Amino acid sequence: MALIEVEDLSFRYPGTEQLVLDRISVAFAEGERVAVLAANGGGKTTFARWLAGLLPEGILRAERGHVRMHGRSWPDWTAAERAAAVQYVGQVPSQQLSGAAFTVAEEIAFGPSNLALPIPEVRARVAESLAICNLEQLAKRDPFTLSGGEQQRLSIAAALAMRPRILVLDEPTSNLDPASRDAFIEQLAALPAALTVVVCEVALRPCLALAQRFLFLHEGHIIADGAPADVLSHPACVAIFGMTGVARAAADVRERGCWPLGLELPLTLEAGLRSFRTAERALGR
Amino acid sequence: MSAWTKPEAGPTLLFTPGSSWVHAANPLTKLAVMLWAVSAAVILPTAGTAFLILGGVALAFSIGVGRPVVERLALTLTPLAIALFVVHGMLIGRPELVLFGHIAVSPRGLADAAGILARIAAVLTASLLFVTTTHPADMLKSLDARGVSPGLSYLIASPLLLLAPLTSRAKDIRDAQRARGLDLTGSWKARITALPALFIPLITLALTDLDHRALVLTSRAFRARKQRTVIDPPLDSRRQMWLRRGVITIAVLQLGLVRLWH
Repeated sequence: MALIEVEDLSFRYPGTEQLVLDRISVAFAEGERVAVLAANGGGKTTFARWLAGLLPEGILRAERGHVRMHGRSWPDWTAAERAAAVQYVGQVPSQQLSGAAFTVAEEIAFGPSNLALPIPEVRARVAESLAICNLEQLAKRDPFTLSGGEQQRLSIAAALAMRPRILVLDEPTSNLDPASRDAFIEQLAALPAALTVVVCEVALRPCLALAQRFLFLHEGHIIADGAPADVLSHPACVAIFGMTGVARAAADVRERGCWPLGLELPLTLEAGLRSFRTAERALGR
Repeated sequence: MSAWTKPEAGPTLLFTPGSSWVHAANPLTKLAVMLWAVSAAVILPTAGTAFLILGGVALAFSIGVGRPVVERLALTLTPLAIALFVVHGMLIGRPELVLFGHIAVSPRGLADAAGILARIAAVLTASLLFVTTTHPADMLKSLDARGVSPGLSYLIASPLLLLAPLTSRAKDIRDAQRARGLDLTGSWKARITALPALFIPLITLALTDLDHRALVLTSRAFRARKQRTVIDPPLDSRRQMWLRRGVITIAVLQLGLVRLWH
């Protein structure tokens, strides 16, 4: 059964003609790990913000379509209810900090404290989030003095402390160096199993490590939705991400021997190359 | 404050950790006493204000924050003192002047300058005593514990917290503009001409940050409830509460009495 549903969602930014999202309908189940792939400017951030209900209420009400959780559209949720249901982590690590906390522990406690939860509950959530994101050693540090990778882990910890049902990650690794990116991707594997995670990405690596299901968003439409190998070998996906991305994905899989979740992968470098050539022919290049 | 929330003193904070009775006092009590000192500095004559400063500095040394307090006082007051003495003692035309070689100085102007400087020094001493013995996190917790709106607490905290990242960003912009050929080492005129190239990107980026920060605050249920949970608020007592009320009453009364007197 779907936990959150996007129904016939269309959206254009005020003062512009082009639809960023065009009649999108998709549903996510509880505990599902989904990657939303798109090229730069492909609508990932807009989709992620819609999914998290973070656009201004006027926009959330005025536009065509809905995002519903448990049958209720986002504008019908109070701010506290919504914050406890869905969390969003964006691209730039330092911009994910609240600016109201002097330590890492306080940053994590900021959200639960805003919900006016009892003190033992806040403490328990902070301890749990610190442990999940491996931040115990940094608990007393000033969040702004952490590295980008540490700040991004802190953003995840702060989001987890809200005990959301859905976590929306918007290009969480785009501002990280390769070592921090790898450490962050490993961290994602430790997320609670019941949590629905939607990662909107342009890079394949975090998607491959996290998701069982890929969506491919292009020019406002979802043009592929399914198993990672099927979506990656879709001609449009290959054409847009290019051979490099597909080859890297295939190399990743070869290195690991299997998908992160133990699924067999029918995608090889050769298959990727074939798909790319097909796409080139289709595009008349 | 428990182990996991006890913050380290940051490079942008004047807070000096310590275990004195002033450090242990509730931040709101310290704030009330600071306000009393400010109001006293406004009404006292120069000699009285000087006693207030000396008392403040002596207290600072007795509780282990003397050095940072005196250093900041000297750094702030030295240029101010020079400017005040030049303007009041030499530039403002007054009838009685005393000649020191080729320089004519007004004793009355010097006295006025000393009076203004003493008042500023007293206010600064009281403020420095407050900030060197109070971690901003404790101040915020005290406000939260007293039921002050989370929005007001955020207004107080965020400038302190965002100062370091903003400074770092300003340095990045300066380096980037230098790499593109912006001359920041030439004449004053060249430097002033270069200012827009530094400030415009800084302001633009700060505004972008605001948008993201607003998303984070919404996402973390900021102001979703009227009151927040306060973990480990600074100790408070009925005695301190009455002291605060008494000190604020005196501060208001002494200002009012002076107005009536005049």
